[in-house]
Amino acid sequence: MKDIFTNLYNKVIGFFQAEKGDSSKVIASNRLKLVLMHDRTNLDTLTMQKMREQLIKVISRYIEIDQEALDLNLEGEGDAIALMLNIPVIRARTLEEIEAIEKAEEEELAQKAAKDAEEQEDAEGSSDESEETEKNTKDSDESGNAEESVISEEEANTEENLQNEETNETEKQKVKKK
Amino acid sequence: MTGRVIVITSGKGGVGKTTTSANIGTALAKSGAKVVLIDTDIGLRNLDLLLGLENRIVYTLVDVVEERCKLKQALVKDKKNPNLCLLAAAQTRDKTAVTAEQLKEICEELQEDYDFILVDCPAGIEHGFQTAISGASEAIVVTTPEMSAVRDADRIIGLLEAKEEIKSYKLLINRVRPNLIKANDMMSVDDVVDILSCNLIGIIPEDTGIITSTNRGEPIVNDENSMAGKAYKNVALRIQGEEVPFLDIDEPHGFIDKIKKFFKIKAKA
Repeated sequence: MKDIFTNLYNKVIGFFQAEKGDSSKVIASNRLKLVLMHDRTNLDTLTMQKMREQLIKVISRYIEIDQEALDLNLEGEGDAIALMLNIPVIRARTLEEIEAIEKAEEEELAQKAAKDAEEQEDAEGSSDESEETEKNTKDSDESGNAEESVISEEEANTEENLQNEETNETEKQKVKKK
Repeated sequence: MTGRVIVITSGKGGVGKTTTSANIGTALAKSGAKVVLIDTDIGLRNLDLLLGLENRIVYTLVDVVEERCKLKQALVKDKKNPNLCLLAAAQTRDKTAVTAEQLKEICEELQEDYDFILVDCPAGIEHGFQTAISGASEAIVVTTPEMSAVRDADRIIGLLEAKEEIKSYKLLINRVRPNLIKANDMMSVDDVVDILSCNLIGIIPEDTGIITSTNRGEPIVNDENSMAGKAYKNVALRIQGEEVPFLDIDEPHGFIDKIKKFFKIKAKA
């Protein structure tokens, strides 16, 4: 008798929770999948962040993309792991634009090379002091990076939420049309 | 300021060390204390999951020890409570990556800025356990009212007693099921305390809410209606020196519990 009631109770509760779609078991399995993917591939947050930045740089050379909505994730089925990249495209760039960007990049590289060369000369000229300052700047760079990655992740989270809201809205619109 | 370093240990795995660490840490931080949680289960880290911080970890305990970052950089702030920080374990290494001396140094450094440093200990009594207890002066031994867990807790208490640095250790009995105790199918809290002859700091009832709160990455102390959450809050108060009576776990709380009770009465009739 007791079992019948517990069963009924679970079914009723289960029915209402399934309606919601954000039941904790769905959240749990999604979180776990993501974490396991990172564990299995040995890719940490920092590396993923770096990869994301590089990918954005290369892709936006040719296509104007919504950088904030770019979604980079590891997904897996069974033993295979795939890197899923979802990029909302705003528009393709024209040939002239691509050339202009490439030119700008080349110039940037050239400038960097020139700067490096200058710095090397300076370093050779002066004593140990410059090395120390270099170390300091490196340290501060590292801490800067760490903060950046944390912030951008938070941003990414809020973006996800926004996206979800948007999709919800479009779904609602569809319903209205019907 | 000299913070208190408390290690949370059990010997046996799966009795709720990590859940206990996450909840006591959150409860202490909620009361205004500054808290750091250290996960020393290198290679099998989970504290980040229970706190819902798994996506925010950039540096780990091993990175600090191997000087790839500063200690402060590796502390991940909690989503809700700025008083709470996590120092995560590395997932890709093993327990030998950090020595007892190194962890002790880290704890000493953290003691200057924080009120509580809670060390989540790995299961077992080997290297990982010895490392985890190295910086601590207090311990909480987590056990459940089951034979194997109580036996392992007894072994742990023996090891803690032999360690001079540990000034006090207290017992936390987790996953207590009043119905089973009433039916004489489970050892009662008093039975366990008698067997281990150790002072009690908390009794946590079995609570299905623990599963959903873990699923969401949110410690159960954030849920005002949860019995286990209340019990963990009381543990935090006792740690801070307040005298709180132990919860009466027989009374049903919350709306759902009342419905369940209603059905049970009907079923009996």
